[in-house]
Amino acid sequence: MSVKHPVTQVLTAPALTAQGLTAKSLTVLCAALAVLMAGLLALPAKAAPLRIEITEGVVEPLPFAVPDFIPENAAAGEWGNRLAQVVADDLNGTGLFIQTPQDAFISRPTSFAAPVQYNDWKAINVQALIMGAVTVGDGGQLTVKFRVYDVFSGQELGKGLQFQGTTEGWRRMAHKVADAVYSRITGESGYFDSRVVYVSETGPKDDRKKRLAIMDYDGANVQYLTDSSSIVLAPRFSPTGDRVLYTSYATGFPRIHVLDVGNTQSRILESQTGVMSFAPRFAPNGQTAVFSISEGANTDIFTMDLASGTTRRLTNTPAIETAPSYSPDGSRIVFESDRSGSQQLYIMPAGGGEAERISFGPGRYGTPVWSPRGDLIAFTKQHKGRFHIGVMRTDGSEERLLTASFLDEGPTWAPNGRVIMFTRETQGASGQASLYSVDVSGRSLRRVRTPDAASDPSWGPLQ
Amino acid sequence: MSADQDISEEGRRRLHFGFYLSGAAHVGLIGWLLIGPLFQVEPLPFDVTTVTTISEADYAALSGQVAPEEPAPEVVPEVAPTVPDAPEEPAPPAAEDTPPPAPVEESPAPVTPPEPVEEPPAPAPEALPEVPEPPAPVTPPDDIPPPEPAPPADEDVAVVLPEVTPRPQPRPAPRVAPEPIAPPEPEVVIEDTTQDAVVAEEEAPTPEPQEEQEAAAEEEATSEIVTEADEAPSGAPERSVRPRGRPRTPTAVAEAPTESPAETPAETPTPATPAPAPEDTADAVADALAEALGGSSDPTPAPAAAPSGPPLTAGERENLRLAVQDCWVIDVGSAAARVTVVVTMEMEQSGRVAANSIRLAGSDGGDARATEVAFQAARRAIIRCQKDGYALPVDKYDQWRQIEMTFNPEKVSR
Repeated sequence: MSVKHPVTQVLTAPALTAQGLTAKSLTVLCAALAVLMAGLLALPAKAAPLRIEITEGVVEPLPFAVPDFIPENAAAGEWGNRLAQVVADDLNGTGLFIQTPQDAFISRPTSFAAPVQYNDWKAINVQALIMGAVTVGDGGQLTVKFRVYDVFSGQELGKGLQFQGTTEGWRRMAHKVADAVYSRITGESGYFDSRVVYVSETGPKDDRKKRLAIMDYDGANVQYLTDSSSIVLAPRFSPTGDRVLYTSYATGFPRIHVLDVGNTQSRILESQTGVMSFAPRFAPNGQTAVFSISEGANTDIFTMDLASGTTRRLTNTPAIETAPSYSPDGSRIVFESDRSGSQQLYIMPAGGGEAERISFGPGRYGTPVWSPRGDLIAFTKQHKGRFHIGVMRTDGSEERLLTASFLDEGPTWAPNGRVIMFTRETQGASGQASLYSVDVSGRSLRRVRTPDAASDPSWGPLQ
Repeated sequence: MSADQDISEEGRRRLHFGFYLSGAAHVGLIGWLLIGPLFQVEPLPFDVTTVTTISEADYAALSGQVAPEEPAPEVVPEVAPTVPDAPEEPAPPAAEDTPPPAPVEESPAPVTPPEPVEEPPAPAPEALPEVPEPPAPVTPPDDIPPPEPAPPADEDVAVVLPEVTPRPQPRPAPRVAPEPIAPPEPEVVIEDTTQDAVVAEEEAPTPEPQEEQEAAAEEEATSEIVTEADEAPSGAPERSVRPRGRPRTPTAVAEAPTESPAETPAETPTPATPAPAPEDTADAVADALAEALGGSSDPTPAPAAAPSGPPLTAGERENLRLAVQDCWVIDVGSAAARVTVVVTMEMEQSGRVAANSIRLAGSDGGDARATEVAFQAARRAIIRCQKDGYALPVDKYDQWRQIEMTFNPEKVSR
């Protein structure tokens, strides 16, 4: 049964008026509260910025322009172009920058102190502008100064810098300018003003002549440290770049030598006669060398105090353990060993002790080198008949292979830990070894031009 | 049903006893008259029981009660529905309209007063034929328990029961009781089998205490049932009103002072609806808004505000994101590629970044130098790709006047 309750019908007129007023008041009150809340909420919402998250970008070289350095006197006329060219080559060689050709310039600076016409450089999409000036004083003194500009932000990156030297060292001065530019744009230290010691090879494969050579990182200024009367192998720069450890067969037996780069004098490290020692490398302190000694079929790792000649055994297993490399802090050593049945990478304390295997992928791993940054270990990997240069974390994770060829081996780190140089040998009887560099990201693989075949590079520190 | 049978048996027993007694007295009397003179002996004393028939009204009059005008009580129809309120016993009727019939009388005292009955002498034989059949007790409704039978009267007293009216038929009345009739208690049935007592579980879930609810107002009962067809219109709208459009944002055109409600009643031809209420509400809303914004309630025109609008659509945001990421150059091998930077900037209405407004708001994942490089890369990306201004809707300028952009190279650096 439906029963209606017409309450409103029994209300009297005064009651209806009062009820209506109450309802209206409530409506107004609710509306006012709603508006108040909306206003309070709208104010911060209006002030809140639009939030955008960028998770993808582009990997491409940054366009830069480096006009000829402005000669500030008559004697500096020819140096401006030379210096600018070396700086451009250094930056181009990294793969991170790309030079805008001078033919595209809208305007050319005529004075080092003149204001930069940003719009002219923006119009040709130049993002970094390098302005330099050069002065050649009496006696061949060369003065180079430069500034770096961020074109689109209209700001100078850092402050102007000036170098002084001789005209003979003009390349080093250009490298230093490039290092400064590189550092200001990337935030990392450069590696252009550095040298590489390597084994220069001449002659056919069956009669290969090898000698130590040293050069600028870009292959210029090659100098030979030894003659080719005996086979030399695996040169390694000292942390300060003043000495080189290497293996020589001068005595008919492989023995470790230390060479003074300044005077090219070398000496044999004290060791037992008739024992093969090889694969030397300096400790970060420069006072200790770590190397391998082969006794019969067994090869273990030792250290030697270079001042006293005291040796210390670090490993003592029947396996072949070699190619040790210190961590940057000198606390650990990474080396290769076949103690597990195949050639793998291990890490042990610098004083010896239990080693931990860090490579577990397929193939064989060798010649590990700890990065100057300390975060990566470069290695040579042989897998399925091909050689690779790769990197992995110090715990063995994130292994990345950067190269692949018939024979790639012997990686060495640039002083900033950003670039790896290695040896690549071509196949066949006429195959030759040469030096290549590759960015740690796997990009910008380039050959380092050398007068002769080259192998076993060791990258020295910044000068 | 057992009560009815008891009443009949009792009645019959009384009648038989009186009948036999009367018969014996008559036989004795006749015999004495016939053979009495023959013996001429002193007649033996004997007891004579006088039987009289009185009505309840006479009895009431004799006992000092008010005698009703109507000797035959009649069950008032209204009484019956009220009986359920007292299921055990019939409810006492109102004094003014309910004579005390024996079956329904609450007190059995009037039924068994021996003294008044003995006083009035009356010939018994005449009264006997008038003794009606024992009346059937008033049958209550099915859901009403039968009333208790009257206590048995004295055996030597014959009482003429009041005239029993036929069972009243419920009068059809459009009355709605405010409460439903409570059902009777179920009869207790004793089972043959015994059951173990239920033992409460140790961790029996205790019922959640229910919130006390305020007693709702009792539904109002009416004296009439009003059907929907007869119901008067309640005044509620018979169909929904089309929703109004979104209120416009204040623009330069809308800066004219709003007219007072008194000036614009003619422009709102809504006589059927209560027109003053929305306007009053609008005024109240305006006042509340003014108060919320810290101003007065005066409808003074606000200064020209920057254009605003709804939030940016996903497509508009995506366009901005794509435009910036196309210029974000990442050096995947550098330490800066592991740094996430948050950049804030002020935008002009043309879509260009305000000069020198790009700021580093936060960073994560690198040292100061790497952070600085990451910030520079982000700044270059923002400035490079703006060209003549990012394609952003001008009418939503308030939505993108300030932008906070996060440059997260995590995916790229892998």
